[in-house]
Amino acid sequence: MSADRSRLYLLVPDALDRLAEAGAVGGLVPALSWEEGTTAFQVRDTFDQEIRHSGRLLIETETQIEVLGAEGRSLAQPGVSAARFVAEFAKGPVTSALSDLSPLRCLLPVGAGVLRRGVLALLDDEAKTQARALLLDLCVTEGGAAIVVQLQGLRGYDKALLRLRGMVEAAGGTAFGEQPLYAGLFPGQPDYRPKPQVPIGHDTEAFDAASDIIAAYLPVARANETGVIADHDTEFLHDYRIALRKIRSVLSLFRDVYDTALTDELKTRFSALMVPTGRLRDLDVYLLERERFYGMVPDSLHPGLDRMFALFAEERAAAQKSLAEHLRSPAYRKEITALVKLFGSGRKSGRRKLARGDKAALPAYDFACRLIWKRYRKICAIAEGIDAETPDHEVHELRIHCKKLRYLMEFFAPLFPEAPFKRLIKPLKKLQDNLGLFNDCSVQQDSLQQVLGRLDGATPGDLQAAQSVGALIVVLHGRQLEERARVVGSFAAFNSAATRETFRDLFHGGKE
Amino acid sequence: MKIIACYSNKGGVGKTATTVNLAYAMAQAGRRVLLCDLDPQGASGFYFRVKPSKKLTETRFFEDVARFAGAIRGSDYDDLDVLPANMTFRDFDVFLARMRNSRSRLKKALKAVKSDYDVVLLDCPPNISTLSENVFRASDAIVVPVIPTTLSQRTFEQLRDFFRAHDLKEKKLHGFFSMAQGVKSLHGETMDEMRREHGKRLMTATVPFASEIERMGVHRAPVLATAPSSPASAAYRTLHDELVTRVFGK
Repeated sequence: MSADRSRLYLLVPDALDRLAEAGAVGGLVPALSWEEGTTAFQVRDTFDQEIRHSGRLLIETETQIEVLGAEGRSLAQPGVSAARFVAEFAKGPVTSALSDLSPLRCLLPVGAGVLRRGVLALLDDEAKTQARALLLDLCVTEGGAAIVVQLQGLRGYDKALLRLRGMVEAAGGTAFGEQPLYAGLFPGQPDYRPKPQVPIGHDTEAFDAASDIIAAYLPVARANETGVIADHDTEFLHDYRIALRKIRSVLSLFRDVYDTALTDELKTRFSALMVPTGRLRDLDVYLLERERFYGMVPDSLHPGLDRMFALFAEERAAAQKSLAEHLRSPAYRKEITALVKLFGSGRKSGRRKLARGDKAALPAYDFACRLIWKRYRKICAIAEGIDAETPDHEVHELRIHCKKLRYLMEFFAPLFPEAPFKRLIKPLKKLQDNLGLFNDCSVQQDSLQQVLGRLDGATPGDLQAAQSVGALIVVLHGRQLEERARVVGSFAAFNSAATRETFRDLFHGGKE
Repeated sequence: MKIIACYSNKGGVGKTATTVNLAYAMAQAGRRVLLCDLDPQGASGFYFRVKPSKKLTETRFFEDVARFAGAIRGSDYDDLDVLPANMTFRDFDVFLARMRNSRSRLKKALKAVKSDYDVVLLDCPPNISTLSENVFRASDAIVVPVIPTTLSQRTFEQLRDFFRAHDLKEKKLHGFFSMAQGVKSLHGETMDEMRREHGKRLMTATVPFASEIERMGVHRAPVLATAPSSPASAAYRTLHDELVTRVFGK
C-alpha cells in the first residue's frame, strides 16, 4: 500500500452493487464485504466553507476524525473532537491537513448521518487480494447518500489496480471533489461566498453596476447575522462589516450614479447600520491580538495586561449582547429588508424607483477607467509629496485613497484582463499592509488613551493596568514611527515604472 | 532496519509458521515488514497466497534493482510485503549487504517506491550451507524454533558449534520451544535441561503444538489473523514481544 497509488472516487450506491455483481474480469473476481453495523457521524466546516471549497470533507465519529480528499486520499486520527477551532485539535495528520484553514474560523455542523465501512476486493484464483477499494457509505439524515471509494493498490499488482480503477470509472465513479459530493450529500446547502463575483459587462450601465454590487453584498451581510447573534466566531461580524463597508464605498465612489439626495440618504442609512458594530469589532481585535500585546511589554507588566484584558472581555460580552439584541430588533429587520428590496432586480423590486444621477447611464467600462485613473493620480500626487516631515494626517489620507482604489479595482475586476490586473493588486496590497499597520498603531494608541481615562487610581489593580497600558502606548508609538519610515519606500515599490505603465495602459488608453 | 532470519537445521519444526506469524505481528505493530521466502520447500508465500514469480528464477536477480523491487508483492495485510520463493540464491548475500547500505541503489530504489522496510524477515532453507553462513553473518538475529526432543536438542547444539567454528556471534541466536506438548513428560524434561544448558540463548516464549497452526495450510493465513484469541496466537504474540525487545531494545 502506498499513498501515490490511492485515489478517491465517488459512487452512487446502485453502481457499487452492479460493480460487485459483475463477475470475474480478467481472472479476478470482485468481492464486496461490509463491516457489521453503522456509525453515527457529523460533518463540519467553517461558515465560509473552506473545507468544501478545497474539495475536502471532514467527518467526525465517536472515535475518530477523518478528512477525505486531502491530497487525493483519506487521513484519519483517533479521538473525539469537541474543539470548535482546528487549532484546538489534538496533534495528528488530520489536524495538520486542516492547518490551512483560517485560525479565526470555528467549525460548524453541516450535517449528520450514519456511515458504514466496507471493502471491495479483486481476488485471484488463490483468493489473494490483488487490489482493493476501501468503501465509506455515507447516508445523511434528511440529505443524500454517497459512497466514497478509496483505491488501494498492493505492491506488485499494478495491473489489478488499473483494472479496479477502470471498473470504478466504468460504473460511473467520479473523482472525489466538491461539486458531486456536497451537492449530493447536502442538497440545498447554501454556497456562501464572502466575496461574491458580480458580473459587469463593458456596456453595463454604471447605475446597474452599482446596484448589482450593492444587491450582491446585502445578502452577504444578512448571511452573517445569525453567526453574530450566536457569537460563533469573530469573522461573522468582520464579514458583516466588510459587506456593509463595500456597499457604502460603492455609494461614495460611484459618484452621481444615483441622485445626490438619494446618495446622501443611503449613505446615512448604511452608516447607521455600521455604528452599533464598531465597538464590538474593536474589542474583538484587541482580544484576538492578545498574545501580540503580551509580547510587547516585559513580563513584569503582564499582570496589568491581565486586568486590561479582563475589562475588555467584560465589555465585549456586553457589546456582543447589545449588538445581538439590535440585530434581532424589529426596527433592524425592517430596515435591512427594506434595503434588500430597494436594490433587488426582480420585477417587484424597488430598483426602478431609485432616483438616477447624471452618470447613471455611463457604460461601466468608461466609468471604471475614469474613476480608477483619477484615484490613482490622486494617490501619486499625495505620495510624491510625502517625506519625513509630512504630518501624519496626510499619510492617513494616502491610506484611505489606496483603500478606495483597491475597492474600485475589485468591483470592476471583471472588465479588465486578469494578469495585468493581478500585477497591480499585489504591490498595492503590500503598500496597504504598510499603511494599515501605521494606522492600526495610531488608532490603538488613541483607544488605549481612552482606556487610561477610564481607569481609576483608587481601584485595586487599575494602577497596575495603567502602567501596562502606558508601556503599550510607548511601544505602539515606536512601531508607528517604524511603519511611517517605510511609507516612502513602500510607495516607490508600488509605483514602479511597470506599475505606472500598466495603469496608463489599462485605464487611460496608454496616455500619460 | 533489522534483518531477522528464521532458521532451523531440522525440518518440520514450525519454522515457516513462525516466520509468517512474526511477520504479521510486526506489521500489526506498525513496522514495515518484508518477508523473503528463501526456502524452496517452504511455504511463506503459500500462506500469504502469493504466487511464485517466474522472473525470480533468472540469474543475477539481486544485481538488478528494478527487477528485485518489481518482484515484491503486497500481502493482504497493511505494511507486510512478500518476496516470493523460487529464486536462485547465489547473490543473496550481496542483496543483504545492499539492504544494509542506505546509499545503495537497492535502498534508494525501495525508498523511491515508498517501501523502505523496518524489518526484513528471512524464511531460510533448512541446511547449513554457504548461503546460511552469509545469512547468519548479515542478520541481526536468528530465530530458531526447537521441538523439545532429544533430536532437536542435538541440532541446536550443532548450530551453536557451527557458530563457534565460523566465528559467528552466538548472541544472535534466539531459540524458542516450538510444537511443545505439555502432556509429554519428555518435552518438559528436555525443556528444563535445555534451559539450564543454553540460558539466554533460549527465549521464554513457548509455542504449543496446536491444531490451529496445522490448519494454517487450509486457511492460508496467519493464525494471528484467523484465530486471534487462540492459545497459539497468544504464544506468537508473546514470542513477538520478547523478540522485539531483544532485537529493537525497549
